Amino acid sequence: MSAHAEALHGGDHHGPPPANQSSRIAPTILGMFLFIGTEAMLFGSFFAAYFFVRVVNPDAPSTWPPAPNEFPQFVAGINTAILVTSSFTMHWALQSIKRNNRRGLQAGLLLTILMGTAFLLTQFIEYAHIGFNTSDGAFASVFFGLTGLHGAHVLVGLLLLTFAANRAFRGHYSPEHHHGVELPGIYWHFVDVMWIVVYVTVYLI
Amino acid sequence: MAGIGIVIAILVTLVAVLIPWLPTSASEQMDRIEFVYWFATVICIAVFALVMAVLLYSVMAFRSPPEDESDGPPIHGNTGLEIAWTVVPAILVIAIGVLSAFVLSKNGEAGPNPLNVKVFAQQFAWRFVYPDDGGLKSGELVLPLDRTVKFEMESADVIHSFWIPDMGQKQDLVPGITTSIIVTPTRTGMFSLVCTELCGVGHATMRATVRVLSQDDFAAWVKERKSGGGKPNAGAAIFAGAGCGGCHTFTPAGSNGEIGPGLDDIVSVAQKAGRDPAEFVREAIVEPGKVITPGYQDGVMPPNYGETLSPEEIDALVAYVTGAKK
Amino acid sequence: MSVIEHTSHDAGHGSGAPPNRRNILMRPGFVRAAWCFALFFLVGLYLVAGIRWLAGWDPVYDWNIIVLVGGLTLAPIGFLLGLGSFDYWLYWISGRPTIPDDHANHGAHTWKDYFKVNTDHKVIGVQYLVTTFIFFTLGGLMAMLFRAELAQPGMQFMDNQTYNGLVSMHAALMIFVFIIPAFAGLANFAVPLMLGAPDMAFPRLNALSFWFLPIAGTMFLCSFLAPGGAFATGWTSYAPLASEQPIGQIFFNMGVQWAGASSILTALNFLVTIITMRAPGMTFWRMPLLVWANFTTSLLVVIATPFIAGSQFFVMFDRIMHTSFFVPADGGYVLGYQHIFWFYSHPAVYIMILPGFGIISEIISVMSRKPIFGYRLMAMSLLGILVLGFSVWAHHMFVAGMADWLRVPMMISTLLIAVPTGVKVFSWLATLWEGRIKLNTPMLFSLGFISMFVIGGLSGIYLASVPITIHASDTYFIVAHIHYVLFGGSVLTVFAGIYYWFPKMTGRMYNERLGKLHFWLTFISFNLTFFPMHWVGLVGMPRRVADYSDRFADLNLFVTISSFALGASVVVFFYNMIVSWARGPIAESNPWRAMTLEWQVSSPPPIFNFDEIPQVVGGPYEYGVPGARHAILTGGGTPAAKEAHA
Ligand code: HEA
Ligand code: HEA
Ligand code: HEC
Ligand code: CUA
Ligand SMILES: [Cu+2]
Repeated sequence: MSAHAEALHGGDHHGPPPANQSSRIAPTILGMFLFIGTEAMLFGSFFAAYFFVRVVNPDAPSTWPPAPNEFPQFVAGINTAILVTSSFTMHWALQSIKRNNRRGLQAGLLLTILMGTAFLLTQFIEYAHIGFNTSDGAFASVFFGLTGLHGAHVLVGLLLLTFAANRAFRGHYSPEHHHGVELPGIYWHFVDVMWIVVYVTVYLI
Repeated sequence: MAGIGIVIAILVTLVAVLIPWLPTSASEQMDRIEFVYWFATVICIAVFALVMAVLLYSVMAFRSPPEDESDGPPIHGNTGLEIAWTVVPAILVIAIGVLSAFVLSKNGEAGPNPLNVKVFAQQFAWRFVYPDDGGLKSGELVLPLDRTVKFEMESADVIHSFWIPDMGQKQDLVPGITTSIIVTPTRTGMFSLVCTELCGVGHATMRATVRVLSQDDFAAWVKERKSGGGKPNAGAAIFAGAGCGGCHTFTPAGSNGEIGPGLDDIVSVAQKAGRDPAEFVREAIVEPGKVITPGYQDGVMPPNYGETLSPEEIDALVAYVTGAKK
Repeated sequence: MSVIEHTSHDAGHGSGAPPNRRNILMRPGFVRAAWCFALFFLVGLYLVAGIRWLAGWDPVYDWNIIVLVGGLTLAPIGFLLGLGSFDYWLYWISGRPTIPDDHANHGAHTWKDYFKVNTDHKVIGVQYLVTTFIFFTLGGLMAMLFRAELAQPGMQFMDNQTYNGLVSMHAALMIFVFIIPAFAGLANFAVPLMLGAPDMAFPRLNALSFWFLPIAGTMFLCSFLAPGGAFATGWTSYAPLASEQPIGQIFFNMGVQWAGASSILTALNFLVTIITMRAPGMTFWRMPLLVWANFTTSLLVVIATPFIAGSQFFVMFDRIMHTSFFVPADGGYVLGYQHIFWFYSHPAVYIMILPGFGIISEIISVMSRKPIFGYRLMAMSLLGILVLGFSVWAHHMFVAGMADWLRVPMMISTLLIAVPTGVKVFSWLATLWEGRIKLNTPMLFSLGFISMFVIGGLSGIYLASVPITIHASDTYFIVAHIHYVLFGGSVLTVFAGIYYWFPKMTGRMYNERLGKLHFWLTFISFNLTFFPMHWVGLVGMPRRVADYSDRFADLNLFVTISSFALGASVVVFFYNMIVSWARGPIAESNPWRAMTLEWQVSSPPPIFNFDEIPQVVGGPYEYGVPGARHAILTGGGTPAAKEAHA
């Protein structure tokens, strides 16, 4: 194999031929969408567990959560508001760089990170005061399972945003090249939408 | 090509008919299962013979030497053929499906007057309870001939599965839910019940004996067991009811299980170990994990007899196993 | 690195330190991997202990959790970091200029390059195949061990737990780190070439997905060292048994996560490559069927694999965090595990066969010198299997105690899968018809595959019929079905594919006579090993037992002896591969006179596959059509171009 490769290389820089773009969608964006698809399925498996415990199980509790436990609907509602707002700031950040507004990009990213962190902290405090533990029954298992899985996604989203922000402050990104902001943005919107589904199924219904 | 097809079909049919693929049926349900089985077999033989005939014929008729560089005729497809080989298999499999659905519902019918039997499984023993006969307990499954039996099954720990090969029917026992299954024995004799769901170290040996008796003999058995039988020994009833005989050979109980050590000379075993036989046996029953008999495995004998049996029952059992007359 | 990637670097490259001048401890490689591994393990250990100490939980050192977090999660990440899988990304996220791309980690110049993080899909393909065959050997040798135990009733060499451990390990290795990734390896090699692409869409991600595999396999194997022995709950690892087993069980739970992540990332990569990087003129209806097969498989992987991840998470949570997903006393639901597990693992059996269908389509068409019969229906039937495959999972639960009303619909959809599969079988047969059949090794394996897979598929039809399954479930009949579809099906296609692409991968030709010998030995001993299992199962022998009733003794002895012959047949294969790779005759660029693109470049292909992206002008299988062409290649490096000049 080596002989041939060297003959071709001939020592000097020889790059690959430019690949043909056979679809209008950029590979990175498509990749992110597919990744989100598998993430949605992962949530799907957790929702399936929830469904089995709460619906299919012959001894499913009649009230949800089983008395005397309660889910903090109100605090989680505020948290929902925080997370939804952060989606707007994320959108703003992306629009800013498209219009070559670097300050807007930086501010938008910072705000989003701030709100994401606030969400996580609230969630953590909620856990501490919730009054039951992972070992207190299947309702607690699915509660911590779904909210915990979501929390982990928020954490990953925050990391991605931090990377993007770091680069934003170092002067990267331009109106033409900003996949580095767009991709974490898509992910962040997904995390946000997922939270609404989790909130509605776990806390409200 | 048709010739090859017929030869293959005949060969496969011989294989299908000459080898006794299924155990001799011992239940009505198994009879129906066999019917579906043969129905599917006919279709499968036809499909297999067709595929192999075309394949072998092509290899023989159209083989070309490596040096030959010519190409075959550029045929891209044939709509008629493609429709045919989509539709015909669809019809065949749906026929299998309809027949199966029919048999399935037949096999699930308990009839007007079934005998109810409760089955309890735990790692790694079976227990049976006859609620229609005053809650009679047994470690051996005894069934009357030609009477439909409805089993209601529960598991105490992990998933097990109930199967009597000659009777066909199989059902998992799942912790947390009660499952059920219908069997109508049609042949008297001894059979074995095996656990078919991997349930831990003792899975391979989690078996129980099944005895099918004529209706009269069954009634007699019930009567005997209810009255404590000819053996005026409470320990004997408990030994039979707790399933000890499934694993241990013990001549007084007529059991011949081979999963655990034989108990016939347990007294001398205990004495050799320098222990009081009664204490030794009690410990073996209540805390089986404490001393493991050489050559056997820990974790096989159920560890919870101390809870499922009352102290009096254990006393009686110890007395019975050590041969002390009460 | 492909040009596609350039669009994702928002900033240009600057110059960084050339990686090779750094000292051995800091340079990417196995030395750095070793200390990073240890370091990350310690981080995990103290993280767990620290949190437990702060929260006041007892004991502070809970080894279940430490092994899980430190040993099975963080340490492998440290290993990958040390190996250099993340270097580029770390530069990127820190905003520093990325290392200039001199393609140093692209292509293999010496054999040592195969032990590095390499971004060339051809190298990765070979890495995959070699790794998976190592796991195949180990999994097979375990089968030899437990077959020896099964030669006689009663216990001879091992206790039950060891036996169950060996069976579980056998299946886990075969399924998660042999058959699924072996197909990924073949596809890695062939798909970009067939599409006319210079590489995969995300070469670094591709490298990373490969390196997850040795981690997953090693993790499975390490469970032998765990106190209490290897995981012993079968490859299905049903709850609640799995949450009560000794600690070896979590090596399975986590190993599956690594293998699953690997296949998800690879599948994603395939999908993006196939959608966005086809050569001009390569419409979907001109793609070779191997590409179609991998397209469908990748969709299955992306949709289904997260479900097995979920199921294994729940079992681990039940064990480690004392949750009650599957603890009925606390409101859990035991059958939930099986539904979630099979929602992945049924589609997974198609993940294990569809790429094989693709391989067979390539070979049958080329070796019969005829266009594939009913090309479009062949592609559509793949999609049909994909869709139906998601509606049949509960056929593994016919006796499990699930809702009764689910049985008949699931039976009908399962039976219907015979229809698209039948379309494929009949189309292959019609392709053979009136062809100019070349009976060489790849073709022998393909024909062997068709006949064996039909047997396996037909036993699947028996199993789909609920009354029959009620009798046959969890017996050796299932074991026979498994091996007819997986060995007679998938493994034979892997062999066929390896022989077929061997000249392209290595630039050398394998030994035809040894290849044929391998085929006949395998074919015969395979049938002798697995056919009798149908019988043993139906007359009453359950699966997963080390000890069985005396009346099955003769057949089992026969099976054991045949299985040793089957093992020996594999030796012929390894011998042929190793010797031919080292000293085989130099292969031509297109020994099979095939039309698909990978055969139009040299053997082995140039480092970036094509000097110029080819122009596709027709279908991939136009054998016998006068003047038909699949593609026009330009540029100097390709033999086709050289011939045109001459
Ligand atoms: C490569 C892997 C693979 C493949 C392709 C298949 C294919 C099929 N499988 Fe199999 N299966 C497994 C791997 C696979 N299976 C494994 C590993 C298990 C065990 C898991 C465990 O418990 O450990 C299993 C278990 C399993 C069960 C559960 C049994 C039980 O545990 O109780 C069932 C039940 O329905 C089943 C059915 C089928 C069917 C109907 C097909 C169909 O797709 C087959 C279709 C093909 C054909 C039918 C042949 C070609 C068609 C024609 C020539 C057309 C004409 C045909 C007719 C008219 C009939 N399989
Ligand atoms: C791709 C999948 C695959 C493959 C290839 C195989 C290959 C083999 N399998 Fe396995 N098997 C499974 C997937 C597979 N299996 C699955 C999913 C199960 C279910 C597990 C469960 O219940 O959870 C199973 C279960 C299973 C059982 C049932 C165990 C039980 O239920 O108790 C048995 C029993 O005989 C068996 C045997 C074999 C044998 C003899 C081979 C042989 O083909 C192996 C041949 C290969 C080699 C031997 C290695 C290479 C050889 C050499 C390097 C030569 C040197 C060796 C010698 C000369 C001896 N397998
Ligand atoms: C599932 C199988 C199983 C069942 C049911 C079972 N045992 Fe055992 N038993 C074993 C095994 C295996 C051993 C040996 C391992 C050990 O010592 O724990 C054993 C050991 C013993 C011993 C000690 C024997 C010796 O030689 O040291 C006694 C006594 C005993 N069992 C009595 C009983 C009684 C009484 C019952 C019923 C209440 C019973 N067993 C039910 C499997 C079983
Ligand atoms: Cu109980 Cu297997
Ligand atoms: Cu299946």
